[in-house]
Amino acid sequence: MKNTPVQLHVITRIVAFIILAFSIFLFFAGHNNPGGGFIGGLMTASALVLLFLSFDIKTIKKVLPFNYAKIIASGLLLAVLTGMVGMFLGRPFLEQFFDYYQLPILGKTELTTALPFDLGIYLVVVGFTLLVILTIAEDDS
Amino acid sequence: MAFQILLNIGLALIWMLLRTEYTVVEFMLGYIVGLLLLFVLRRFLHFDFYFRRVVAVFKLLVLFLYKLILSNIDMTKIVLSPNPDIQPGIIAVPTKLKTDWEVTLLANLISLTPGTLTMNFSEDGRTLFVHSIHVPDKEKAIAEIHDSFEKAIMEVTH
Repeated sequence: MKNTPVQLHVITRIVAFIILAFSIFLFFAGHNNPGGGFIGGLMTASALVLLFLSFDIKTIKKVLPFNYAKIIASGLLLAVLTGMVGMFLGRPFLEQFFDYYQLPILGKTELTTALPFDLGIYLVVVGFTLLVILTIAEDDS
Repeated sequence: MAFQILLNIGLALIWMLLRTEYTVVEFMLGYIVGLLLLFVLRRFLHFDFYFRRVVAVFKLLVLFLYKLILSNIDMTKIVLSPNPDIQPGIIAVPTKLKTDWEVTLLANLISLTPGTLTMNFSEDGRTLFVHSIHVPDKEKAIAEIHDSFEKAIMEVTH
């Protein structure tokens, strides 16, 4: 007899969204408060691991058809390109720029080049964590 | 579908609590974040991603406005020409739409575009009798209604 963990499935469906929202909050909080790309990425990865734990790998692979190796590569590329913006303007590598802008709805907002760099870190951390866990999980021998 | 909207609003509220800023802008940001998460995990949901329907409603609206302008120009041409070469007629349009609500919407959209008017329904309510001011080709007129309005309505409700 094969039993289905109904309660686990139902709770996971809701909790995964809340954890993902929290991880995005952490990602954006990083500039002025505790948080940032690393912890946000780990939190996102933990939400995805929760999905993998309560459902089987096949289902989640169908739901999220990401190639995690490519996510790592695009994260690194994004970080390097952000660093090179300074070089093109005759400044040192990884020099960061920021300014305050008056955006239409958001009001006065600080936009900095540290954010795309952080996004690169975020992608690398998410991709790396899941790649490690899935590689171990899929190893049958 | 209702569950998805509820979850999205719940995520927006959680976002507001996390940011400790209780403003409309913050709610909107949270709503957008929730919408993105729902989109990423859309294959995980039991029903379709609900925002697809919102897009479909918007498409229907744009289609209706486009048809409205187009047929108004046609009507102006007919009214202003000294001896109009028109063939008025009544055509029976069968529809695949299932609920009465959808059929009513289709009938209203047909009536609101000038030149065509829904006059009556068949007994089972699934065939519309449409009066049109200029129908040189019956099959073509029916196919046009099927391709435009019926298809757009089906996209919203299915």
